[in-house]
Amino acid sequence: MGRLNAEEMVLNMGPQHPSTHGVLRLKLRTDGEIVSHIEPVIGYLHRSFEKHAENLEYQMVTPFTGRCDYLAAMGSEHGYAMAVEKMMGIELPERVEYLRVIFAELQRIASHLVAVGAFGLDVGAITPFIYCFRERELILDLFEMASGARLLYNYIWIGGLAHDVPPGFVEKTYEFLDAFDERVAEYNQILTGNKIFIERAADIGVMTPEVAINYGVTGPSLRASGVNIDIRRTEPYSIYDRFDFDVPLGQGLQGTIGDSWDRYYVRVLEMTESAKIIRQALDQLPVEGDVKSAIPRRIRPPKGEIYFRSENPRGELGYYIVSNGKNVPLRLKMRSPAFSNLSVINEIGQGWMISDVIAILGSLDIVLGEIDR
Amino acid sequence: MITSLANWILTFDILSGMGSSVAWGLSLFVVAALIFVFVAVNAIVLVYIERKVSAFMQVRLGPMRVGKFGTLQTVADALKLLQKEDIIPKMADKVLFIVGPWVILVASVVTFAAIPFSDTLLAANMNIGLYYIVSISSIVVLGIVMAGWASNNKWSLYGAMRSAAQIISYEIPVGITLIAVVAVVGSLNLQTIIEAQGGTGNLFYWIPIPLPNWFIFHNPFLFIAAFVYLIGATAEINRTPFDIPESESELVAGFMTEFSGLRWALFFLSEYANATLVAFLVAIVFLGGWQSPFADYEGTQIGFSIITLVAIMWTLFVRTKTGRLSVYPLGLSFVITIAVWLFPGFAIWLASPGIFWMLMKVGTIIFLLMWFRWTFPRLRVDQLMYVSWKVILPLSLINLMGVAIWMWLTGEIQF
Repeated sequence: MGRLNAEEMVLNMGPQHPSTHGVLRLKLRTDGEIVSHIEPVIGYLHRSFEKHAENLEYQMVTPFTGRCDYLAAMGSEHGYAMAVEKMMGIELPERVEYLRVIFAELQRIASHLVAVGAFGLDVGAITPFIYCFRERELILDLFEMASGARLLYNYIWIGGLAHDVPPGFVEKTYEFLDAFDERVAEYNQILTGNKIFIERAADIGVMTPEVAINYGVTGPSLRASGVNIDIRRTEPYSIYDRFDFDVPLGQGLQGTIGDSWDRYYVRVLEMTESAKIIRQALDQLPVEGDVKSAIPRRIRPPKGEIYFRSENPRGELGYYIVSNGKNVPLRLKMRSPAFSNLSVINEIGQGWMISDVIAILGSLDIVLGEIDR
Repeated sequence: MITSLANWILTFDILSGMGSSVAWGLSLFVVAALIFVFVAVNAIVLVYIERKVSAFMQVRLGPMRVGKFGTLQTVADALKLLQKEDIIPKMADKVLFIVGPWVILVASVVTFAAIPFSDTLLAANMNIGLYYIVSISSIVVLGIVMAGWASNNKWSLYGAMRSAAQIISYEIPVGITLIAVVAVVGSLNLQTIIEAQGGTGNLFYWIPIPLPNWFIFHNPFLFIAAFVYLIGATAEINRTPFDIPESESELVAGFMTEFSGLRWALFFLSEYANATLVAFLVAIVFLGGWQSPFADYEGTQIGFSIITLVAIMWTLFVRTKTGRLSVYPLGLSFVITIAVWLFPGFAIWLASPGIFWMLMKVGTIIFLLMWFRWTFPRLRVDQLMYVSWKVILPLSLINLMGVAIWMWLTGEIQF
């Protein structure tokens, strides 16, 4: 008997695959079930957002930002609007700031609901996903009330909002918040504490703080590794310094700090924190105020450049804008959090099994629209 | 008692004119057709039920459009599958690709020949019925490996290899748990096993709580064995939380990835046939098969009164969100209790053994399997093997020993 000639097999996961969260292709080098190398291949959803932006007036870029991270369109619009406003030095009415924060945080909850549900789906639990979408629908209803759209809003404009919220919005938001905490307990019951789920997620794909920082991982995935960086807290933008909220960190409750379970659980906790922020913002929301009063007639930022970052549900969303004083940006670069978060997959996913790679990918919560732009 | 359906069909007058061998062949054919029809209809009904069950668990409605409450949805789906284009991938191994699904289907349908639906209704009364079922149902793995290999697709191959490993590993503990029961009865005949479970007995022989004389209550080791068997069997039929061979979020559709149309429908058919088979085996081996849980009509009356009392108590005292009882089981038990006290005939019918009780038990187990599927996440391959070799197998071996010791202690067997 000679030696059994076994060799590694290259497995293409995607672009058509149920668990790649869009059209991502992972080139896996596998030895049986063990994955020895992961190479993400991206670009299937490339729509030239940055090149488009160089040919569009500033206010026309807003809808495109929402199309990048389509699960968190409000967050993207918010970041972009703030970047341009900072360049132009626009002072916003209080009501606008509060409503923006409310929408950004509602969007964070909606986005995390998808992340949490889809992670459950990746490890094989189908029902929690549907539960998460049930709550997400309620948030989308609120967005529809305000902007008329459920996914891509074009609602947060430079210098203000497209419309004021309709009557009854505040009450409905309170109603949603009242119901929401109970629902989070439901997710914890069906998924978080499930023994099989813990077996599948805890200790899997541990991301040490060093690795996370070296790869530029941001957002909940970074905080799950125990690094306390939340731009809402470290460099408060908008009016985040007025609210009282905690920044949940990964504590390794079920395994090691920075494992997939931590990345999942940090998101669950963040949803509760966002609900807290929304509640405070609703309490303090000024009744008077014209949301369109600060919208400039002409948007021509002065010559110069700016890098403005905000905390999107997926991490640090940065806009680098170069202006030459015209109504069209000379260059617009988007620092996409999911892009950096995905880059770590080979480092933390090596040596795990195929099933684990899917769980790790799910726990990183990527959106391909934003990676490919 | 008629020993088999085929013999019963032979008693018909129409067949008397034919030669005996022709009549015998014809009756066998009728029985085979009946079994196949049962499996097919069963799959269609179960798919509908599974959709509805999953829908209610997920705050949805499920199919509602085709027929009243969507009852014809699965029929429509089956017709659609029959019409679909027959696709065989170019690089596939054609022979194995075609044969694979049929091997799986045949292996899972043929097992029903030995299943007793009631004390008289069964296709073949074999003296090695249990052995026959366990051995035939393991042929399924051959079909799965054939299908996975023939597809010439990496995902299919992964699915097939996982499936082969899984089914072979779980067959051993499952077999050993069944042996524990055989040790008690001393027979592999399913009818004998069911007959041994008639009447009423004490819980675990000594504890004076009158319960049906089912093997699950016979002794503590068989009580554990029932759950070990259910877990092992769930793994053997590739259902969640052990559905790794076809885990849709990992392997696309596992060994079924390249299949479509009729061939895919065959996989589906056999999947539900296997689930039903497992439910039948649990019902037969541990839950008394077609035996009624009540000994006589007084037992029925008292039994249902106790059930209603428990339901009322539950409603009154358990008020947590997840623990509270829905109004339907309470109302149902209430209505049945009243009916049982008012109409002794109904109570007598409930107390008599029959296909009704068999199907009730099977339905309960199938619902349990669906409940698992829509609640649990999926295990990983190595965790699955861990559960099999390091948890369930030792447990089943200890159980087998425990059963023997228990029987020696209670004096059921002497040396």
